[in-house]
Amino acid sequence: MTHRTTASLLDHEVLLVTGKGGVGKSTVAAVTARAAAQRGKNVLLVEYESVSRAAPLFGRQELGTKPVQVDDRLWLRGFETTDSLEFFMLQQLKMRSVVKLVMRNKTVLGFFMAMPAIKSVTFLYHLWRLVEDHGPRGDGKFDLVVCDLPTTGFIMGLYGVPKMVQQIFHIGPLARVANGMGDFLYDTRRTGLVLVTLPEEMPVVETVEFLDALQDRYGVHPAATIVNGVYPQLFGGDELAALDTSIDRSHASDDVIGLLDAALLLEGRHERARRLRPMLEGSLDCPTYELPHLFARQLPLAAVDKLATALNAAVSSAREPA
Amino acid sequence: MTSSANLLQRSLSECGLLICIGSGGVGKTTTSASLALQAALAGRKTLVLTIDPARRLLQALGLQGAELEPNTPLQVLPKMSGSLGAFAESARLDAMMLDPERGAEEMVKRLLDDPNLHREVLGNRIYRALLPALSAAPDYVALELICDLHATGAYDLIVLDTPPAHNTMDFLEAGSTFSSFINERVIKFFSLVPGVGGKSNSLLRRGSTVAMRLLGKLFGSEVLPDIASFFYSFRDVMPRMKERNNATDALMRSPKTRFVAVTAPGETSLREAHHMHGLLRDQRLPFGGFVVNRVVRPPRGTDEGGARDAAAESIRAALAAHGTPAEAAADLAERLRQGADHLDSMAAADRAHVDDLRRLAGQGSFCAVAPQLEHDIHVLTELQRLGAQLIDSASRG
Repeated sequence: MTHRTTASLLDHEVLLVTGKGGVGKSTVAAVTARAAAQRGKNVLLVEYESVSRAAPLFGRQELGTKPVQVDDRLWLRGFETTDSLEFFMLQQLKMRSVVKLVMRNKTVLGFFMAMPAIKSVTFLYHLWRLVEDHGPRGDGKFDLVVCDLPTTGFIMGLYGVPKMVQQIFHIGPLARVANGMGDFLYDTRRTGLVLVTLPEEMPVVETVEFLDALQDRYGVHPAATIVNGVYPQLFGGDELAALDTSIDRSHASDDVIGLLDAALLLEGRHERARRLRPMLEGSLDCPTYELPHLFARQLPLAAVDKLATALNAAVSSAREPA
Repeated sequence: MTSSANLLQRSLSECGLLICIGSGGVGKTTTSASLALQAALAGRKTLVLTIDPARRLLQALGLQGAELEPNTPLQVLPKMSGSLGAFAESARLDAMMLDPERGAEEMVKRLLDDPNLHREVLGNRIYRALLPALSAAPDYVALELICDLHATGAYDLIVLDTPPAHNTMDFLEAGSTFSSFINERVIKFFSLVPGVGGKSNSLLRRGSTVAMRLLGKLFGSEVLPDIASFFYSFRDVMPRMKERNNATDALMRSPKTRFVAVTAPGETSLREAHHMHGLLRDQRLPFGGFVVNRVVRPPRGTDEGGARDAAAESIRAALAAHGTPAEAAADLAERLRQGADHLDSMAAADRAHVDDLRRLAGQGSFCAVAPQLEHDIHVLTELQRLGAQLIDSASRG
């Protein structure tokens, strides 16, 4: 079983954006959504169960479970487990008053919320129905749904959901649901997995290991790896050499040394990204795109646009992996 | 410990359990390892425990090539004391990796001492299907294991590097989540499915038929008996589960336990740190303090009074004097200036975030700071230096 991507990154119906913690998943998810919108696609950016990180980028503090239009072609919404559970029960039982009753009963709700894997099951179900109903094969409201998801552990669980549900509910209505979710999730022309990483040793190694494990277990290939925060080259090697021969550090002032050290540090980060690139490209069977580091802790919308333009250019110029 | 020791030092010398929480990517594993090493070097028998995969922990401890046998302690000190010098030879530090899937299986086995029940539960189709899901949320399994380890008294201090849950709440509520899933009420309910429980009250049975029909519609009536017997097989272990639940809860609330919130600068991490602090307070869990990693330090020198401009000018002159063409020298000096400005502004933003957390920590807890590292730590001496830096920074107000 091999699920290899053939679609170009932004031509999927869904992109699942993940990575280890702290690598900038939310930023990359917002940038990816924005890049597709720049291409004229109608895009829904989904944030999964969290204090919203993308909403502030678009001038909003709160994010509900209803889509909010933030731009001509861009909508935002949150996914919450309780909301997705209610959605699931409504779809399966078709009895609104009964479902309301269940959702209001603390003991019963507590039982459902405590089921192992309940979060990934309800999420996948909800996403699958959303894309079937409103994606290109449904009413066409959204050409692409980009999901800002938790860390890679969640993704490993998510890809196991169809099989787990099939094992438990081998017959009956949920067996059909499990098959539908599996067809949707494992079709890499429809559903693309995007791994975000940093140009640092451990995140790169962990990304390669995670993708190996995912491929071993579920035969899934990612749609792309995105290296976030790549430092541009600010200083050439000959320039650093000229500084070395022109300035005697032992007699230089602290202020001069501060400037030299800053240059060495920034150059070191650029160099590290360059050194790690072959490691990703050599071991992964998917395109790798780089996003430049922006020298600001907080990203304004203008910066998201700038990165989206960079991503669009990279995707357009990428050739199919051999 | 003397009264001059700061709160972090006191936590390391007096506590029995330090639980490092925080989202991924903030250096939680490295922090856990460096704190454990400090405690070990101070003479306490210490264990640092991480969840699979353990690569980061092994690397931080300088054990890249080693394999960690799951759920089995590996000696770090005194075995590896060479690089640290003679004073480390009497220290005792172990590292351990928890394999949650195996841990979950062992946990269930411990609960079910009757071999018949053993077979009934472990052979259950639903249990087998749920086992990987249990390991995707390994929080409860980790707590259980620590409880056992703690009870043996083999270690003075256990430092737990919590699993990378996307939500700290998941870890803090692991115990109560498990007991909302399997409890007496749930078991009693499922015992009413025809063919599952023993003899039962027909009145009760009738009362539950509406709910039963609903569940049948939701899950499929064909699989309902299987689900019901899965829950029913836990019937005799409830008292013991409750006992263990109480034990893990008591351990989390023990006066010798501290939660350490590991974080990094940046708006998202800052918000998360406030969130963790609030959660611990709401749940009345013992907060030790913050560890703020990855803090950018400003370049040497000062940005005041045009000092950086003067430095750039002197570099330009030196470059020109040594043969760099005038235009190129001016251009390079300008870019050096910009580079330092970038770092200055990042350092200023980080400083503001650290100050904010120091205020939040207040008098009763610590706030320790570690600089952004330009490469991963992979020798014990560097890990030791990092821990010393953390302790040192925790003293500053």
